Amino acid sequence: MNRRLLIVLLAGPALFAADPLPSAESVLDRYVQVTGGKQAYDKRKTEIAHGTLEYTSLGIKGTITRYAADPDKYYASLDIEGLGKVEMGVNGQVAWENSALLGPRLKSGVERAEAIREGSMNSTVNWRKLYPKVQNAGIETIDGEDCYKVIMTPAEGQPMIGYYQKKSGLQVKITTVSSTQMGDIPVELIASEYKDFGGILEPVKVIQKAGPQEFTITLERVEVNPVIPPDKFALPAEIRKLVDKADAK
Amino acid sequence: MSARCLSLLLAGAVTAFGQTSQVDLDSFEKVWTTVRDKHWQARPGGLDWQAIHDEYRPRVEKAASHDAARAVIQEMIGRLKQSHFAIIPAPVYSVLDEDGEGPGVTGIDARVLNGQAVVVSVDPGSPAEKQGVRPGWQIERAGGKDIKPIIDQARSNPAIHELQLTRALQARLSGSIGGTVEAAFLDGPGKLVDLKLNLTVPRGALSAFGNLPAQHVWFESRKIATTAYVRFNLFLDLPRVMAGFQQAVESCKPCDGLIIDLRGNPGGIGGMAMGMAGYLVDKPNQRLGTMYMRDSTLNFVVNPRADVLSAPVAVLVDGCSASTSEIFAGGLKDLGRARVFGTRTAAAALPSAFERLPNGDGFQYAVANYVSQGGQPLEGLGVTPDVTVELTRPALLAGHDAVLDAALDWIRRQKKP
Repeated sequence: MNRRLLIVLLAGPALFAADPLPSAESVLDRYVQVTGGKQAYDKRKTEIAHGTLEYTSLGIKGTITRYAADPDKYYASLDIEGLGKVEMGVNGQVAWENSALLGPRLKSGVERAEAIREGSMNSTVNWRKLYPKVQNAGIETIDGEDCYKVIMTPAEGQPMIGYYQKKSGLQVKITTVSSTQMGDIPVELIASEYKDFGGILEPVKVIQKAGPQEFTITLERVEVNPVIPPDKFALPAEIRKLVDKADAK
Repeated sequence: MSARCLSLLLAGAVTAFGQTSQVDLDSFEKVWTTVRDKHWQARPGGLDWQAIHDEYRPRVEKAASHDAARAVIQEMIGRLKQSHFAIIPAPVYSVLDEDGEGPGVTGIDARVLNGQAVVVSVDPGSPAEKQGVRPGWQIERAGGKDIKPIIDQARSNPAIHELQLTRALQARLSGSIGGTVEAAFLDGPGKLVDLKLNLTVPRGALSAFGNLPAQHVWFESRKIATTAYVRFNLFLDLPRVMAGFQQAVESCKPCDGLIIDLRGNPGGIGGMAMGMAGYLVDKPNQRLGTMYMRDSTLNFVVNPRADVLSAPVAVLVDGCSASTSEIFAGGLKDLGRARVFGTRTAAAALPSAFERLPNGDGFQYAVANYVSQGGQPLEGLGVTPDVTVELTRPALLAGHDAVLDAALDWIRRQKKP
């Protein structure tokens, strides 16, 4: 037996023992499956999520309430100690934000595209519509667990990288560069403590690092398929004025 | 002298030298590490910071005294060629103690004018007003200490800016609420007036924000003839201050102009500068400036409100206008939306930190760079007013606020016939 053949034979078992890398599509579909399955998502037409957020290093706390309706209506209200209220929403193709601090504004460009994706009801199950290109970039270890690193590229905006545990199939981390009015900001989200909310598993705790800031969002409860008055998603008067002003120009 | 005695003396000398050397080395390491970890550039000042360490550490090791070691450390941070990196010698640092004896105040606002501490305003209804103190009075002594030597010592160090010195002066006029502080003034005619001033709760409502200590925030708004005037002491208490600002702007439709008085305002929540500018700037996609940090870049953008004020805007500043005040004044000036009156601002657009070093010296450093929309860094340079107007003691004694008068005069001249 020549030396080269011996090396191939010895290397062979190790090579064959390694799992082939699954496709990005199968990783994302598995995530849908392990968090409740397509049927559970399809049944969800509206939801109201209630939670808290805390900027630990700054000592600032707040509450967050998020309303969503299939397919593309979204409204969130944050009440932050010392900063007042921040509202944001998506109603079809209009994405907006209104805060006591910065005032009302319409989102545009990449920021608007990002908001519309985030405002899409059941984005987990609808990933094919939101990310035309997906790629499994390999395995990375996060907190001692092997995770598939899936790069999801939208039609407009920066790619989002999701990390899915090989063992559980759950998404544990997201990194992306978020396009904000103040500039492009590197964002990292660490998701943990998945819990069943009406047939769908959602992370109770999400630690978000955005540039120099870090805060924790804790999901407390989710109302499943509640009746949400349509005016909840209507554009606030200040936003309507800006839309009219933009239309007039 | 016995051999034993000699060896004890030598041992004592070695120990003393060793201790001196060690605190200076620890101070050197503290400064070097802080710059390495907190500077907004991964290569601070474009330098190989490790090589800088290797060059300067042996020199500190060989330094024969505290002063010599300090000079080496100062030279090292001088290599950055950036403002707001400074070593403040321990004796100077101690006179700048900004911690008062307590939260009680007299109601006096003072500044250093021509090398003297002068009362520039007295809060209405405050103990100082009730006890007869008037703008223009010169403060000779406060809290049992002569004021002039404190001013002279602080001004001997170029790293000390007006804001720090003013805070140190105000601290001498503070104490326990309900208590008193002794102070001596020169009144208008030059007569020495000794007063035991009562101390009261600071003006404004107590406002908390996160881990920051709760602070008293006040906002005032009034009309001077047909010009609107607003003044507030901090960019904090967002709901109340923003609402007050909005009302003032709305009251100015129509009016001849709006004056925003930021003298003495040390800043607060940076975002409030953007929010307020939205009431004044009509053009979309404008920014007040850009903040550069090690990991990110933040644009201080302005969202024009639905109804924007079109009347002329004047912003009043002085050496105690810092941080958010500078971002606001500098940005509006660069956008051509406001005319700035007064004296150069504190040049502290960022929360440049002060830390006490192991050898007792103070160390000042900046953690980010802020560039105003006109391309000028504010840190270390500040906002230079369009119209420089200085307060003077004679004018204050005569009841005039020269800075406000200049702004009112300019607004009057903007009036279309």
